[in-house]
Amino acid sequence: MKTDRLRAINTPRRVEVELGAAGLPVMVERRPVESVGEIWRIDDEWWRAPIQRRYLDANMEGGKHVVLFEDLMTREWWVQKP
Amino acid sequence: MTRTPHLTSDGAACCWIPLFPLRCETARQPELASLPVALVGPDDTRRVWQVSPLARHAGVKPGMTVSQAIGLCPALKLCEPDPVHYDAQFSRLLAALGQVSPVIEPAELGLAYIGTDGLEGLYGAPEKIVEAIKRGMRNAERGTDGEGPLACSAFPLPRSAFRVGWGRGKFVSWVAATRARPGEAVIVPVGGEARFLAAQPLAALPLDSDTHRRLRQLGVRTLGALAALPEEAVVSQFGRAGRRLWRLAAGRIAERVVGRVAPEPIVAALTFFTAVGERELLVHALDQLIERALRDPRRSGWRVQVVRARAELEHGASWLVEATLKDPSADRGRIAAPLKTQLERSPPAGAVERLVVEFTAFAPGTAELQLFARDAHAAARAGRRRALRTAAQEIKLRLKRSLLYHVIEVQPWSRLPERRYALIDYEP
Repeated sequence: MKTDRLRAINTPRRVEVELGAAGLPVMVERRPVESVGEIWRIDDEWWRAPIQRRYLDANMEGGKHVVLFEDLMTREWWVQKP
Repeated sequence: MTRTPHLTSDGAACCWIPLFPLRCETARQPELASLPVALVGPDDTRRVWQVSPLARHAGVKPGMTVSQAIGLCPALKLCEPDPVHYDAQFSRLLAALGQVSPVIEPAELGLAYIGTDGLEGLYGAPEKIVEAIKRGMRNAERGTDGEGPLACSAFPLPRSAFRVGWGRGKFVSWVAATRARPGEAVIVPVGGEARFLAAQPLAALPLDSDTHRRLRQLGVRTLGALAALPEEAVVSQFGRAGRRLWRLAAGRIAERVVGRVAPEPIVAALTFFTAVGERELLVHALDQLIERALRDPRRSGWRVQVVRARAELEHGASWLVEATLKDPSADRGRIAAPLKTQLERSPPAGAVERLVVEFTAFAPGTAELQLFARDAHAAARAGRRRALRTAAQEIKLRLKRSLLYHVIEVQPWSRLPERRYALIDYEP
């Protein structure tokens, strides 16, 4: 298989997030978050370039459901399908 | 089984007898010539199939229901189709043309292409070749060749029925035949194809109604107008079919006449003690006959491509259905399926006295196909792969690049979602 022909899918996309007092998102791309559900953490590849992510389920106003994660190394927020 | 190698020819003459089945009926019953006549469809006996000029003059058109046709023309004489008779007559005509050239390609009832390469050595210039063809057809009409009787029997064809077109490639010769007057010929000289085609109407192309409508909306009325467009523009609009249409219109394609492979048909027949009308019994008999024909040792190593079932009915009528399998097969069920469908759709008009199944064309079976020939699922999978391959090529042709991908597993165990799967170009 020629790896240069591979195209990644489900890559994360940067999002603008506004945090509330509890450090949880209250606005995602200027849309209000109604509630935050499950929260989990992934730590990987600690032996080379460590990856540390805090994932959370966010229920948006209007019923939309998104999965966000915070890159704990850079403090950036991303959206990604689980 | 032996197979005659293909004979091909770039030079083509098209022999066309419009309304061939109807003319066969008129030849058999001359009193019909002065009446408005219509043949009912072999597939749908509720509809009119072919219509004589007198009936057409009264407003009857092919495809109308029989009741509509009679409403428009109360004197209309309706005839039941006799496909076995038409087929036999056409075979005789082909045999007569075979005396002129060894390369004969039948296209449909009443339409055949004759390979003309090398005939100049026998007959001379194109005009002389056409004369020889016309002479052959007239001889078929009379049943003699001037020196002795032909192998075929008399074919009472009105002299004015046939038209001949001569040109390079089948398409040019076909268009020329459609331009010819009855009993006459149109010869397109080599090198003059583009000029001849340019003036022809768009309808000369093998178009579906949608493409025809779209081309007309683009203001294209003639083959010349189509050929004047850039080829790539036509391809981007109409895909692979567009490229073929453009090339046909520009005279860039010269499809060769391919002489018939002379198969040795495998025939299995059953004569009933008493005539059978029950559909279920006929279906069972079809299955049995196909099974018997498949067991014929000559079939070994070959898959069946064309199967035909014919029946002799009470009162001298006949019934014929033929199916060409897209995927040649040696599987009884796959061979029988199209025949059964046609039996349901257009059953024999009377009780069957004798039923015959014929395998008339074959495709060579590779080792793989032989292994799986009895596996209908494998054949279906192969068919789907072929269809996918064609569709993918079509998309690539239209969009200049492939936009089809496979999803493949990369690290399905990864905790990082973006590492689990990836896309790779889909090349079926």
